[in-house]
Amino acid sequence: MSRATEHRAGWIWASPFLVGAVVFLAVPVGLALYTGFTDYALIESPLWIGLDNYREMGDDPVFWQSIRNTAVYTAAAVALNFLVSLGLALLLEQRLRGREVVRAVVFAPVLVPIVASAIGWMWLYHQEFGLFNVVLRRLGLSGVDFLGDGRFALMSLVVMGAWVVGSQVLVLTAALRGVPRELIEAAGLDGASAIWRLRAVVLPAIGPALMFNLIVSIIWAAQVFAAPLVMTRGGPAGATQVFTMSIFQNAFQYGRMGYASALAWLQFLVILGLTAIALRLGRRFVQTEAV
Amino acid sequence: MCAALPAPAAGEEPRPTLDASPEPTAPGASVSRRVALGLLGAAGAAALLTPGRRRTVPAGRVHLRYWEKWTGAEGEAVQRIVDRFNASQDRSWVERVPVAEIFSKAMVAIGGGDPPDVVGLFSWNVPYFAEARALMPFDDFPGGAELASGYYAPAIERLLQHEGRLWCGANTCYSLVLYANRARLAQVGLDAPPATIEELDAVSERLVERGADGRITRAGFLQNIPLWWPYVWPSLFGAELMEPGHGERPPRMSLASEGCRRAYQWVSDTAERHGRAASRSFGLSWERTMLSAADPFLSGGVAMTVQGPWMANFARQFTPNLDYVAAPVPVPAADLDPARPRGLLECDTIGIPRGCPHPEEAWEFVRFTQTRESQEELARAHCKPSPLATTSPDFLVGHPNPFVAVHEAVAKSPAVSVLPETRAWKATSDLMVQAFDAIWMGADVGTELERVQTRAQGLLEAARERYRARRERV
Repeated sequence: MSRATEHRAGWIWASPFLVGAVVFLAVPVGLALYTGFTDYALIESPLWIGLDNYREMGDDPVFWQSIRNTAVYTAAAVALNFLVSLGLALLLEQRLRGREVVRAVVFAPVLVPIVASAIGWMWLYHQEFGLFNVVLRRLGLSGVDFLGDGRFALMSLVVMGAWVVGSQVLVLTAALRGVPRELIEAAGLDGASAIWRLRAVVLPAIGPALMFNLIVSIIWAAQVFAAPLVMTRGGPAGATQVFTMSIFQNAFQYGRMGYASALAWLQFLVILGLTAIALRLGRRFVQTEAV
Repeated sequence: MCAALPAPAAGEEPRPTLDASPEPTAPGASVSRRVALGLLGAAGAAALLTPGRRRTVPAGRVHLRYWEKWTGAEGEAVQRIVDRFNASQDRSWVERVPVAEIFSKAMVAIGGGDPPDVVGLFSWNVPYFAEARALMPFDDFPGGAELASGYYAPAIERLLQHEGRLWCGANTCYSLVLYANRARLAQVGLDAPPATIEELDAVSERLVERGADGRITRAGFLQNIPLWWPYVWPSLFGAELMEPGHGERPPRMSLASEGCRRAYQWVSDTAERHGRAASRSFGLSWERTMLSAADPFLSGGVAMTVQGPWMANFARQFTPNLDYVAAPVPVPAADLDPARPRGLLECDTIGIPRGCPHPEEAWEFVRFTQTRESQEELARAHCKPSPLATTSPDFLVGHPNPFVAVHEAVAKSPAVSVLPETRAWKATSDLMVQAFDAIWMGADVGTELERVQTRAQGLLEAARERYRARRERV
C-alpha cells in the first residue's frame, strides 16, 4: 500500500469521528459564540445586540448567585473527591480480604445513571424517612433538613458527588501500582514513618495521576447540573442554583438562547482558565518523569 | 524516560506492560466487507419492516401531526376529540403525539423548520410565539375572526390574544379555588370553608397537629402546599403582577406594589406562626406526592389547599369517600364581594405553527376543537370549567366536578387575575419561586419583592426593546 493510499485510508477511517466533531461540536460552539452577541429565541432570526448579553450578567442576581454557588460547590467537591478517592485508592492497595469486591462496589456508582442516583439520594436525605435522619434520631440528635435548609443543601450535593469517585479511584489505583516498591522499602529502612513514606515517596510518584484527577474533577464540578436539577431545582431560595442550570433555564425555559450562549461561553472560558492554572501549578509541583 | 516496571509480587495481579506488540489474529476472526455490509443491510431492513412503527393513516387523507402535552386520562380525553374529528370527515387524519416539555420542543421544531401541524401550548407561551410570529393568527383563516371577539370568556380572550390578534384557541382552562376537607372543618365546628383571609388564618391555626417532638403532622392551610403557584397570592389581595400598558404608557411590572407586599407579608406571617423551618419541612415532605393517593389534601395532611379543578378527578380516583368542598379563595374581609370572586385563571391553548405542512387542514381541525361541543366534552373529562363565554344549558348538570360552578364563577368573574402577558414571565416566575422561599424563611418582604421587581422590570424592558427593534427591521 503506497503512503498516499495509506494516508487516504487513515482519513476515511477517522472521518466518522471528524465529521461528528465538526458537525456536532465545532459548528455549535462557533454558533454559540455568535449567538452570544444576539437576542435569539430559536423561533426568530437572531438580532445583533453586541455585548448586551455580557453586560446584562452584571445586573442579573441569579447569575451572581449561580457563580457563587458553583464556586463553592467546585471548591468543596474537588477537595472532598480528592481526599475520598485518594483514601479509597490507598486502602484498596492494602492486602485486605475482599478488596476486589470493595473495588467493584466503589466503582459501581459510576455506572448508575445520575438521575437514578439523585432520586436515591433524595430518599437518603429525606427529612422524615431518610436513612441519615433516622440514624441521627436514633443517636438522640434532631434531624437535619439536608435539602430543604439553605445552610446544608449545597453541601449535601457535594457529599452526594463524593459517592461517584470510582473513576478517580481507578486512575489512582493504577498509578499506585506503578510506584516502585523498592523506593518505599528503602524509605522504610531509613526509618520513614508511613505518613512520611506517603508524603515523600508515594504522592510525588503518583503526581501526574493526581493532577489528571484534579483537572477532570474541576471540569466535572464546574458543570454540575443533573443532581441539583433533580434534587432541589435550585432551591431553597436559590441556595443550589448552579451555573449550568442557569444556562439550561435561559435556553430552554425562558427562550433566551442568546443570553444562554453568552453564559455558556463564559463558563467555557472560566473552566479553560482554571484548567490552565491547574496545569501550570502541576508543571511546577508535579514530577512528571518516572522515578 | 521510562522506568522498568517491577515484577508483580506473589498473589498480585500481573501489571499491564507498555509493550504494544499486536496480538496475533485468530484464524477466521476477521469479517469480510461483504458480510459486514450484508449484516448492516439486514439490520436496516428489520428496523424498517418492524410492525407498529407507524400509525396507519387511511389512504387519500392528509396526515396531520398534533403535539399535545397531556398524557394519561387527560390525554385520552383529547384523543376522543381527535377520533371524533377523524370520523367526522374524510380529508385529513389527525395523529396525536404526546410531547413533554412542549414549550422548548415546539421552539426547536418551529425554529428548525419542521413543526407539527397543530401544537398544544400553555397560555403563558402565547406572547413568545406571537411576537416571533411563530404561530399563524386565527384571523388569517376563514371564520377565524368569529373567535376573536366575544367567543371566549373575557379573561380567556386576554390570554389567547396578543396585540389585538388571536394566536391560539383554548383547550380547557382552570381557575384556582380553595378545596377543603369537610370532616376536618367539622373538627373545629365549621360546615363551610372560610371566605376571608382572617377566618382562614383562625381556622388553620386550630387545625394544626404536632407530634411529640414538635414537628407538624397535619396542618390546616399552608401557602407552600403545593408550591406550584408562588405568584398566586397577590390575586387574593386584588393586586396585579403587571400593570398593562395604555396608549403611550408601557406595561410595567408591579411585583413590589402595596397589594403584593400585603400578600407576601401574609405568607411570611403564616410561616412565622407555624414555625418557619418546621412548616417548610412539612411542605417539602409532600413534594413528590402531589395528585397521588398520598397527596397532602387527599390523604388528610392538610385540611385546605388552593388547587385547580383536576383535584376532583384525583379525589374520585384515589379517595372516592373523601368528603370535601370547594369555594373561591379567601380574600381580606374588607374586600369580600361574593359577586366578584378573586383567583387566578390559566388556560391551555392550541395553535398552528408557522411553516406547518398543512395549515388549511390544521385550521379545520382546530376549528373543530373550538366548537362548544368539543370544549365542553374536554372540560368535563378534565373536570374543568368551560373557557367559552357561554355554556350550554346542561354543561353544569352531571359535570364530574361537583364544584365546577365555583370554578366557572371565578373564571368568569370580572375580578379574576391572569398572568402577565410578556416574554419575561417565565424568568420572573422563577424569581418569584426564590423570593417566596426566602420570605418563607424570614427574609424581609419588601427587600425580596424589590429585588424581583428590579430584575423583572429589566427583563420586561429588554424584551420590549428587542421586539421593537425586530419589528423595525422587518
